[in-house]
Amino acid sequence: MSKKQVTLECVCALLILLFLYASMSKFLDFKTFIDEMNNQPLPNAWTPFLVWSIPLVEIVISTSLIFEYTRLLGLYASLVVMVIFTVYTGIVLLHFFPYIPCSCGGVIRHLTWSQHLILNLFYIFISVLGIILQQRKSLKPNYINNKHSLV
Amino acid sequence: MNKIKWTILTFAILCSIGSAFATRPQAQFSSLYYWTGSGYAPAGTLGVNYICETSSSVCTYTYSGGVYTPYETSSTYVNLGATTAAKPEPKKDKK
Repeated sequence: MSKKQVTLECVCALLILLFLYASMSKFLDFKTFIDEMNNQPLPNAWTPFLVWSIPLVEIVISTSLIFEYTRLLGLYASLVVMVIFTVYTGIVLLHFFPYIPCSCGGVIRHLTWSQHLILNLFYIFISVLGIILQQRKSLKPNYINNKHSLV
Repeated sequence: MNKIKWTILTFAILCSIGSAFATRPQAQFSSLYYWTGSGYAPAGTLGVNYICETSSSVCTYTYSGGVYTPYETSSTYVNLGATTAAKPEPKKDKK
């Protein structure tokens, strides 16, 4: 297994760790998650949709990152989700909303909005890295990957 | 190759599920309170009656055994002014 492949596996593992942990902690304390969603400066009418869709999307992304056939799609999806979270964090930090809500949720609740932004940017970086490595891997002809077995 | 891949992924999956269970709150609090300046009062429903706005203060407290313990920290209690709708008064019969 080459260094690039190990790096790709580590990138996927880090993304799975984030998304699976985030979704599980939301479902394990669902009432608090509903309250925290209501605390966000978004219309409360969106809450019933968001409290189900966000953790479910996170689980789907985690699952897709496990399997080879869906991995590239999962990496693109994680990039999109992380960009959305980062834009939201940026909007909050730039005082676009009437107030700055508490940054709550799992262990991540102890992070400030600025620390959230740094974490999100790190995960955007590793998502892009994962996409590049996965695309290179997919573009490689099979005979190169299996050259040892052919010799 | 597959062995290393599945070792890394299994470790990530077990870590995430394990840490989610390990960090979940141990007790559910039926009601939360806030500091009014002179005493504690029921906070109401988050997002409906109040919001917790980022600051260095304490937004809500839990109450147990005569002690109020900070619950939602690093934020301030902001009353939204929402109150429960009063029951409609029965119509008075015109005489």
